[in-house]
Amino acid sequence: MSAVLQPGQSPGTGPLADPPGDTAGAVGPRLMVRRFTRNRLAVAGLVVIVLFLLFCFAGPLLHPTDQTHTTLSQVNLAPSARHLLGTDAVGHDELGRLMFGGKVSLLVGLAAGLLATVIGTLWGAAAGYAGGWIDAAMMRVVDAGIAIPALFILLVVSAISTPGVFGLVVILGLVSWLVPSRLVRAETLTLKNRDYVHTLRAIGGTHTRAITRHILPNSVSTIVVAATFQVADAILLVAYVSYLGLGVQPPATDWGGMLSAGLTAAYSGRWWLILPPGLAVILVVCAFNAIGDGLRDAFDVRGRA
Amino acid sequence: MPTFLYLARRVLQAVVVILIVTVVVFCLLHALPGGPARGILGPQATAQQIAEFNRQQGLDEPLPVQYLYYLRTLLHGDLGTSYTLNEPVAQLIEQRLPKTLVLTVLSAVVALLIAIPLGMWQAVRRNKPVDYVVTTLSFVAYSTPVYFLGLILVLVFSQLLPWLPAQAPQGDTLAQVFADPAGLVLPVVAGAASMIAVFSRYMRAATLENLSEDYVRTARAGGSRRNALLWRHVFRNSLTPVVAMLGYYVPVLFGGALVVEQLFNYPGMGLLFWSSAQSSDYPVLLGCVLVISIATVVGTLIADVVQRIIDPRVKAGRA
Amino acid sequence: MTAIGHSPGAAPEPILELDGLDVTFGTETGDVPAVRGVSLHVRPGETLALVGESGSGKSTVALAAIGLLPGNARATGRASVAGTDVVTAPESVLAGLRGRTVSMVFQEPATALDPLTRIGAQIAEVVRNHRSVTAREAHRTAVGLLRRVGIPDPERRASDFPFELSGGQRQRVVIAMAIANDPDLLIADEPTTALDVTVQAEILDLLRGLAAETGTGVLLVTHNMGVVADFADRVAVMLQGEIVETGPVEDVLLRPVHAYTRRLLAAVPRLTVAEQPPGQAAPALDGSGSGSGGSGSDSGQEDGPRSAPASTSAPAAATAPADEPATDVPAVDSPVVDLRDVRVVFGRGARAVRALDGVSLAVRAGETVGLVGESGSGKSTAARVALGLIRPTGGTVALFGSELRRTRARDRHALRSGIGVVLQDPVASLDARMSVAECVAEPLRVHRRGMPAKERQELVAGVLERVRLPRAFARRAPRELSGGQRQRVSLARALVLEPRLLVADEPTSALDVSVQETVLEVITELQGELGFACLFVSHDLAVVQHFAERVVVMRDGRVEEEGSTAATLLRPTTDYTRRLLAAVPVPDPVLQRRRRTERRAALAADGSGAGA
Repeated sequence: MSAVLQPGQSPGTGPLADPPGDTAGAVGPRLMVRRFTRNRLAVAGLVVIVLFLLFCFAGPLLHPTDQTHTTLSQVNLAPSARHLLGTDAVGHDELGRLMFGGKVSLLVGLAAGLLATVIGTLWGAAAGYAGGWIDAAMMRVVDAGIAIPALFILLVVSAISTPGVFGLVVILGLVSWLVPSRLVRAETLTLKNRDYVHTLRAIGGTHTRAITRHILPNSVSTIVVAATFQVADAILLVAYVSYLGLGVQPPATDWGGMLSAGLTAAYSGRWWLILPPGLAVILVVCAFNAIGDGLRDAFDVRGRA
Repeated sequence: MPTFLYLARRVLQAVVVILIVTVVVFCLLHALPGGPARGILGPQATAQQIAEFNRQQGLDEPLPVQYLYYLRTLLHGDLGTSYTLNEPVAQLIEQRLPKTLVLTVLSAVVALLIAIPLGMWQAVRRNKPVDYVVTTLSFVAYSTPVYFLGLILVLVFSQLLPWLPAQAPQGDTLAQVFADPAGLVLPVVAGAASMIAVFSRYMRAATLENLSEDYVRTARAGGSRRNALLWRHVFRNSLTPVVAMLGYYVPVLFGGALVVEQLFNYPGMGLLFWSSAQSSDYPVLLGCVLVISIATVVGTLIADVVQRIIDPRVKAGRA
Repeated sequence: MTAIGHSPGAAPEPILELDGLDVTFGTETGDVPAVRGVSLHVRPGETLALVGESGSGKSTVALAAIGLLPGNARATGRASVAGTDVVTAPESVLAGLRGRTVSMVFQEPATALDPLTRIGAQIAEVVRNHRSVTAREAHRTAVGLLRRVGIPDPERRASDFPFELSGGQRQRVVIAMAIANDPDLLIADEPTTALDVTVQAEILDLLRGLAAETGTGVLLVTHNMGVVADFADRVAVMLQGEIVETGPVEDVLLRPVHAYTRRLLAAVPRLTVAEQPPGQAAPALDGSGSGSGGSGSDSGQEDGPRSAPASTSAPAAATAPADEPATDVPAVDSPVVDLRDVRVVFGRGARAVRALDGVSLAVRAGETVGLVGESGSGKSTAARVALGLIRPTGGTVALFGSELRRTRARDRHALRSGIGVVLQDPVASLDARMSVAECVAEPLRVHRRGMPAKERQELVAGVLERVRLPRAFARRAPRELSGGQRQRVSLARALVLEPRLLVADEPTSALDVSVQETVLEVITELQGELGFACLFVSHDLAVVQHFAERVVVMRDGRVEEEGSTAATLLRPTTDYTRRLLAAVPVPDPVLQRRRRTERRAALAADGSGAGA
């Protein structure tokens, strides 16, 4: 659902869209840490992410499984001591598969979320700093992008071709940079009217200096918060991608792929094929959202609520 | 700024956005294997037929010229013909769109009716246990893929507890849809869940922000009590940004409908789109994208106009 | 309005009585005591001014007295309003009290009203909070209140939204809400701080009149000694959460006892005033007036060394004509900055705003020009045009003799190394992500790119010392500095290239008077050493009078009047400047009382007193 325009950012030119009289940057690092850690959900989110990273990347060392070859003698086994989460329709150990698919989900989600943030930051900063008709034109492009639902585009793309993992990252990045671009533009508009930027311009400082020394460093907190939410959205989007038929191809898989493969099995009572990947997606996306929430409070910036 | 001038400017903006959308769709059309000719002649067409078609339709001309041709056909309401269903795309969409609108509007109304009071309630009880619980639930609702949520809903409410049908109302007319309200419950819930999450979070933030505004203090200094503050002042002030946001939420609603319709087998535009994707029916796919994008642009436009009506400052052009 | 004597037997029971009030704020960084053991009282019909600098806790006392402290504040002690202790009273009791027994006027009229509710409805809401009347009656009462606070055409304006009103009118609406139920106690927290002086004078007149009419007690919170002198019967001076001096206004302002009060009063820049325009003048009064001011401790503090009229009193009027205010431009040396017939239009079409309309002004080498005017007069826009931040729609701008529009980019860049800038907001002026050293060194990075780091550090440390900051500050982050220190860092940055022109846009208006004094002193001192010219933008006529040699008065995007400060601010030639000067309250209750009477007489004579 990457095209969700997030709360807390100001859509359009509403009267309440004015940037707040913010104190951005006026907070010391120690206070930021304290604010973040006070947000229990955010701390829990951080713990969840660390655990999942360990689970997916170190887990296979403790629980090695064969995720490439099918074992037709061991299909659709219910959970047991040998297969803690049972096996799937082609005999893969479900627990091992959860680790195996999680790697793809997390990596693609992280990469796509970061790519979207980078594109959005560059676009938004350029539009906001340039101002005038360039800004207007660039933001119309963003409006158009927001108007086309990402899921529809992804489904069209899936009808045309099946990309690899790298292609997937690029496609997801390309459909989800719009929200960060709006956020960064709003931030740039505020920052370029700060007195220190005016002062710099008055004594002859260049645009480059204004952008690289003042505007970007001061946008960092906004960008980091946006990136966190963007990663959450991207992981969610990755879960949709397999459902839409765009996902990674077998024998590789991701949590979304496991979910769509397990959909029919769930009706026949094989819950272990659907609940673990479903809960994994929910937990990880929740965790990133909670972290973003905590970071936003810690940095005292406006992002989505 | 006078209303007609504002409207004119806003409509002009919307037209520009729609033009950009058509460029995107046009590019997708050309990204199709075999290009638009394949898209129109269908997968069985031979290379020779395609070459012939390209010459006839001016598809060997430079892309900008082709784009103008494409715009011209669009202006005539011609979205091409489906080659699996053999019907004009425009006609197919015309049949299916109302049903999708019913589903999305119902979901949106339900979501807002729950989310707005919920968000205000959370703001009032900020950092109390109930706020944390609702926040956590919002995160979960937001983080659950719609198809997974739909599946769980079906498993629980129609298999485990046989209360509700697992399939949405069938039939071609709206009357048939409304004849089976029980069938709409699960699809609407599945469609509304993440919207409740997003808008309650949004309303919570807006309410908190307004509660700390000076005017609330002024009203309190005049002896106004909490409920009066909340409903007479804070509610309306918090609603303005929510309305603006609603316009931008239209594409997400359609995205949700795409999955929900497929999951519950509801014969709307989402299902049409889905089945067209399975059969690579490009004219239908691109037609749907275009129509939905236009619907979004119009939705944003309406949201802006509504905002202008409820907030006198926007009308005066000062914020 | 005279001070009420201190005979408890005769005086009515206090309407507000604070007794050992303590307020502590629980913050992220621990508990911060804001108010410590404050005891004071306000009797019906009298005005007590609570004065102090920022952080003194005066506003916290005001909020505590009406039970509107923010959630993280804890109050102990007693604060009784008409017999009810608001410290311990439950919210429902407080709601019954607020708006009826005690009401409040706030500082910021721009945000004090609900933007989406018509003003009539907002006033009617307060009426209906405490009286069981029909909506229609409440509305009629609201219209009546609007008339009482001087809003013209109240029937129609009642259905206006707040944004349709000017700042002064909005403050009148807030006052209408406050007096809607004839409260016994009115708390006014910096009620005129956000307003222009002429509007301030009107609002103070209004409050004074309303309080006198109904015998309401007023607790006036302010930092402005002029406002105190104009309005208060008694004064309580606060320092770091405690009251250090209390007494009748004449005593405290003219014969302060506590060292802090003396220091505070000494730091207040005083407007030196000439008497009535020739003909009506009564020169003897002038001597007595400033005499009473001088009998305090301020005489040694008239620290504007270059402002001729610093030696106050009658002779000023006699010497002034020698300056020939109309033609005092001998044009000896070429100006460092020269604006000719500059026009600036913001926006297009019907919504276009003429921010500057044919403004010409010049600053010559080494001279200080004060640019004054009320908000919206275009003074800041003019300064920004001079800085090249705003490109004029018409007219020419020349910097150090080169016309900007005809100069090549590279030369323009070089020209700009001769400019130093200090802007108003101490927080926004420094990039929070940089250290003080990086902030100050920025001009060097722009114009002396090859400079070795060692040399740069030395230069930065040197210029920090020049603005009287320790060298060690170089490593600090701006957030660790106070407002005055930040402004001095800005000044250090402005001066690190030893510019020929310093443009200062309200550099001290966000600062407390004592801090303002230091910053102005530093600028003056360095100007003596470095000899730069200065374009000094300010709304504060007293500061400009002390600081600038020439003054340019702006109004509605035009130059209203200009000339030597000595002549123009003592004997203005235009009505506007005269009105502006008359509206400035001076921190001497005796003199101010007379000025007020004169101003009223002048307004009555003009017949144009209405409207904010």
